[in-house]
Amino acid sequence: MEKTLYLSSSPHVHEGGTTAQAMRAVIIALLPCVGVWFFSFGLQSIIVMLLCILGCVGSEAVCQKMMGKPITIADGSAAMTGILLAFNIPPNSAWWMALLGGIVAVVLGKQVFGGLGYNSFNPALIGRTVLLISFPVQMTTWVMPRTHEITSATPLSEVKMAVGLHGAIPDELKSQLGSVLMGGFGGQLGVISGFALILGGGYLLYRKIITWHIPASFIGSAFVLGTVLWLVDSSKYPSPVFHLFTGGLLLGAFFMATDWVTTPLTPKGMLIFGTGCGVLTILIRIFGGYPEGVAFSILLMNAATPIIDRFTVPKKFGLVPEKG
Amino acid sequence: MSFVTELKRGIWTDNAVFKLGLGLCPALAVTSSALNGVGMGLAATFVLICSNVAVSSMRKIIPSKVRIPAFIVLIATFVTVVDLVMAGFLPGLHKALGIFIPLIVVNCVILGRAEAFASKNPIFHSAIDGVVMGLGFTVALLVLGSVREILGNGTIFGAGILGSSYIPALLLILPPGAFLAIGFLLGGMNKLEASKK
Amino acid sequence: MKELSRLALVLTVITAGAALLLAMVESVTRDPIAQQRRLVTLNALKSVLPPADNSPDQDTVSLVTGKDKKGNDAETVFYRGRQGEDVSGIAFTVVAPDGYSGNISIMVGIDPVGHVSGIEVLQHAETPGLGAKVEESWWKEQFKGKGLDNADWRVKKDGGEFDQITAATITPRAIVGAVRRGLEFFKAHKAEIIGGA
Repeated sequence: MEKTLYLSSSPHVHEGGTTAQAMRAVIIALLPCVGVWFFSFGLQSIIVMLLCILGCVGSEAVCQKMMGKPITIADGSAAMTGILLAFNIPPNSAWWMALLGGIVAVVLGKQVFGGLGYNSFNPALIGRTVLLISFPVQMTTWVMPRTHEITSATPLSEVKMAVGLHGAIPDELKSQLGSVLMGGFGGQLGVISGFALILGGGYLLYRKIITWHIPASFIGSAFVLGTVLWLVDSSKYPSPVFHLFTGGLLLGAFFMATDWVTTPLTPKGMLIFGTGCGVLTILIRIFGGYPEGVAFSILLMNAATPIIDRFTVPKKFGLVPEKG
Repeated sequence: MSFVTELKRGIWTDNAVFKLGLGLCPALAVTSSALNGVGMGLAATFVLICSNVAVSSMRKIIPSKVRIPAFIVLIATFVTVVDLVMAGFLPGLHKALGIFIPLIVVNCVILGRAEAFASKNPIFHSAIDGVVMGLGFTVALLVLGSVREILGNGTIFGAGILGSSYIPALLLILPPGAFLAIGFLLGGMNKLEASKK
Repeated sequence: MKELSRLALVLTVITAGAALLLAMVESVTRDPIAQQRRLVTLNALKSVLPPADNSPDQDTVSLVTGKDKKGNDAETVFYRGRQGEDVSGIAFTVVAPDGYSGNISIMVGIDPVGHVSGIEVLQHAETPGLGAKVEESWWKEQFKGKGLDNADWRVKKDGGEFDQITAATITPRAIVGAVRRGLEFFKAHKAEIIGGA
């Protein structure tokens, strides 16, 4: 930069953290989940994850080179997107799907907007959604943890099917659902390892990478709405505990709804954001066309973020409101 | 003015969709297959030639205060002609293009050419302008339709070309795919243009 | 005032000319369009009905099959195919309101015994590549020869015997249900349908 007088608005005190440090913390927080992922789905799932990361990091480098920008793959943000993406697609995905998902996430979800800090939607979720819409058959074919049996049934889709068919959740399914918490059911990471996710989320809170507002309001509102529906008719609506530990709710609440770039800035805004995510997730799961709603709800709230920010501008210190 | 340079103008330098950004609604909405793209393009071309000739031949008698309603009446007439003829003789295509045929009336390319070219130029020139701009529109829709059909369905003009092991990316033939495809095509064209200079 | 009347005159002349042109085109295309419309129905009838030597679209009976949104009686047209004097099959349209995206209308052909002789999907707005696969013949073939007495009218996922389509269960389920309801109506009103005038 040329030598000019450097002007900037307050605050002038920088806490010293860098993007790279924050991303590293997130990746560390994800490690327990990666461990459970590997334990549950085997080597194949780790290869899929590496391909996702390769797709993300590779396309980030290519995009930045093409645009003549400094290459910032070392900050780890693309790698983190890759890991999150891997948790959002079947662990037995074909190699090209993982790679394509990574490329789509970074190119369409991030670089076309101008790179890190300019994207309005969570890149990993863009990758997941594009894959889900493009390859619905492959994206809904999961493997059972440990036994590696192929199934298209996740707990959420089973419940949705049963309710659609019989108007109620059959008892045999209900008892099976108990094993959800133990990880005895096909499906995404959240099902198997709520514990690992909470551990990772706790680490992020401890490191102050994220604040409690979004996870608490996300999980809380989903829990409250789930409880209300369950109390209304427990034969039709699954229990709130089931909602919390299935699908991607915990993963979403701790790792994807807390993305700095695509979520509101103020605590008040974050509470609105998290509550919106939680309510939408339950509504989509129960009344929507898809069995799982975490990704859609976060993307929808991402879109609402600018409006939330606009209406939650903190009052300036010492400002006396004008009398109307 | 030679026909070749005019053709180049219609297809490349002043391409209605890619360069002028006109007629994007039909360009995005009907291009889920190459055939639909060509069908829509040719229908619009026919309307464009007719309306250009009609507008040009009447350019001296249409008072400028009522030129827009006059143009729209002329265009709507030719669109209805296309609609009826297609329904009678090309029912398959008519079914596929459906609602978008009547919507040619509001295709900005056609009113745009009537206003910007045909109302100021002699009949023959206007007809040529209709041909080249229409072909440019058709080519744009063909390219967009082909890209989307190949990637989104693994076929081109209904014939499989990528083999059975290719798993089509459905997104491309769904509405969001149209926006993504045209975005990348525009980006590619601009890049090509920039590298020439 | 003089200018105003000139504007009105020019516009009137243009619209009159347009109306004349349209009238001419309409008179030329009226018959082909009517024929095409009839052909669409006839082709659908032909593909779902057992062989017939009459024109089923001219041998019809209309019965009240339900209520429309305003609470008025809704009628369904039953087409009768005949060989000689005997009714060889009945065809009618059923609507599945519970598809993934909007209503699906299906032409069902039934032989006099009450077994399906064929189905044809007339109109739908299902997702291309997923629900839209119900248009493919392998899927439609499985209905042939099945009736209320010899088949379990549910998709396999629900414990029945009809194939669903991978990743798209809603559409096949809706169609199977609609065809079943059609068969039930036929069973209950067989005499009126076959014997009615």
